[in-house]
Amino acid sequence: MEIIELENAVKIYSIGEVETRALDGVTLSIEDGEFTTLVGPSGSGKTTMLQLMGCLDKPTSGVVKIDGQDIAGLSANQRADLRRERIGFIFQFFALVPVLTAYENVELPLLLNDIKAKEREERVRSLLESVGMTDRADHRPDQLSGGEQQRVAIARALAPNPLLVLADEPTANLDTANGTQAMDIMKRLNEETGTAFVFATHDPRVVAYARRVVKLQDGQIVDGNAAGME
Amino acid sequence: MALSKLWTIAYRDLLRNRRRSFFTALAVALGLALIIFMSGMIAGMLESAIQDNIRLNTGHVQIRAESYEEEKQSLLWRDLLEDADLLLTQVNGMSEVEAATQVLWASGVLSNIEESIGLQVKGIDPSSPIHDPVRQGIVAGEYLAPDDRNGILIGQRLADEMGVTVGQRVSLAAGNANGDAEEAVFTVRGLFATGFPGYDESTAFLPLSRAQTFTGTGDRASAVVILLHEQEDAETVAAALVGPGLATLDWRDLNSVLLTAIETGISFYYLMYGIVILIVAVIIANTLLMAVFERTREIGILSALGMKARHIRLMILVEAATLALAGIAVGILLGSIIVTYLSRTGIPIGESSSQLMGDAMTFGTTMYTSFVPADILTLSAWMLAIVLLVSLYPAWYASRMEPVVALQAL
Repeated sequence: MEIIELENAVKIYSIGEVETRALDGVTLSIEDGEFTTLVGPSGSGKTTMLQLMGCLDKPTSGVVKIDGQDIAGLSANQRADLRRERIGFIFQFFALVPVLTAYENVELPLLLNDIKAKEREERVRSLLESVGMTDRADHRPDQLSGGEQQRVAIARALAPNPLLVLADEPTANLDTANGTQAMDIMKRLNEETGTAFVFATHDPRVVAYARRVVKLQDGQIVDGNAAGME
Repeated sequence: MALSKLWTIAYRDLLRNRRRSFFTALAVALGLALIIFMSGMIAGMLESAIQDNIRLNTGHVQIRAESYEEEKQSLLWRDLLEDADLLLTQVNGMSEVEAATQVLWASGVLSNIEESIGLQVKGIDPSSPIHDPVRQGIVAGEYLAPDDRNGILIGQRLADEMGVTVGQRVSLAAGNANGDAEEAVFTVRGLFATGFPGYDESTAFLPLSRAQTFTGTGDRASAVVILLHEQEDAETVAAALVGPGLATLDWRDLNSVLLTAIETGISFYYLMYGIVILIVAVIIANTLLMAVFERTREIGILSALGMKARHIRLMILVEAATLALAGIAVGILLGSIIVTYLSRTGIPIGESSSQLMGDAMTFGTTMYTSFVPADILTLSAWMLAIVLLVSLYPAWYASRMEPVVALQAL
């Protein structure tokens, strides 16, 4: 089943009188359970594509559908609803809420989705366990290593049981061991839960894990189904 | 989303920058303490001005002839009370009454070789406890005896101005019952100082019978002045004493000029309160706006996670409210301590400023604050409301951030 569809999606950023075509007519669909990497040089449009898929932004023209729903007509609040219920995010700099503990960070999306306390607690515990962070649950981000923070971020991204997790350079600030560990966890969770993962990365380690690799250049897809690891 | 989690985020964010949060709450506390002090001062001034005026001038209730006009200080027979003695007996029989006496008022001019000064002449029954403030204020010579035919009592300040002392003679001119002028020579029997410069400069006392003879008013009086045990009884007592040809006035009627003057003055203070509250509110808004800028990334994350704009707004407003409430709690405490302390010790304001307040009013040389809990609550509520109002801007600003833009702060 297609969970994301981009049809001739164009995104133009205007800064003053200069227009930058970050995405230039991209057509792509992401299926349920994919483990896909977007690759390409800096400025090729990877991050912009993630932002459109993640409903963080709207295309300048073309169509972006998430779970069959065209996002063009949605208000900011409706887009927030869609993000909250269907999409998980993992960022390069981990992006945990600094004043909340690991436990509370994972709990936050569940709170936002009004999940009941008991179910919330079970889910947070099981997610922290699956990323190996049970012992560090009560620590704040500044008390955690980069690798630990990223594992908490992975647990948080999966908390609302999303259709899709979008990860922007998830290993860029991790050493090899931690980067590999994070990728292993995500791969495992992808297989266990069926949640699709889409990465944007330069990191060959990440590319090596992907089942599908989408190559971008100058805002266009040059190869929509390059061979991944499998 | 559970409000409790918003609160958790909000208060932990406040704790992240403890020093800034502390000083912001302190600004609220000091601002509120300042306006609580100001309002305590106003309330105290109002209360003591009225109480002093009641004690020295008006009493709680007065009975006058219906045609009597205070401004004219008329001595015409028809404007005076015919049977003040009878009224006094009736008044003294009432349980609410602490003391009552009859007085005769006239406007006069007191002269010696050097000076002529206009003043109010009061013919009084020296034995009435109503005149205790004057009796207790005697600083030279002695108080009047009821049968004194030559003695006059004047304020020390007036004596200083005219250069007269106890035992010296002064000439008093006043109108009489026929509208003609009378003049007689009196001996200064004593000098008083009540602590109210305006009063001490413009009042002279004669025994009632001498004043009546002098002005040719027979045994008539301008008014019966009544002091009550409880001020609240004034209206009832005034109503009970109404009779044909009589007018009864309670302390509100008698102090209406003073009340109006002070209330006009108070509106100026409302402006001051407004300015103080606005300054504090701007400080808070500035702090919050800085906090929002610093947390652009965090707000971007929350928004990416699907937090709605209204929740982000609410989070910032909860922070504002927390800061404001902490400051308000300290401000109430601090303001109450200051007001309570000064309600006992008073603030010396000096004679010159006391006079500046106006001759028509009785203002002492020490100002006492008054602790009015209702005023404190009102001011605190206003403080909270205005702070929340100006915090709408940073809150709105935070909620309007596009997640894409906010996340670029990563």
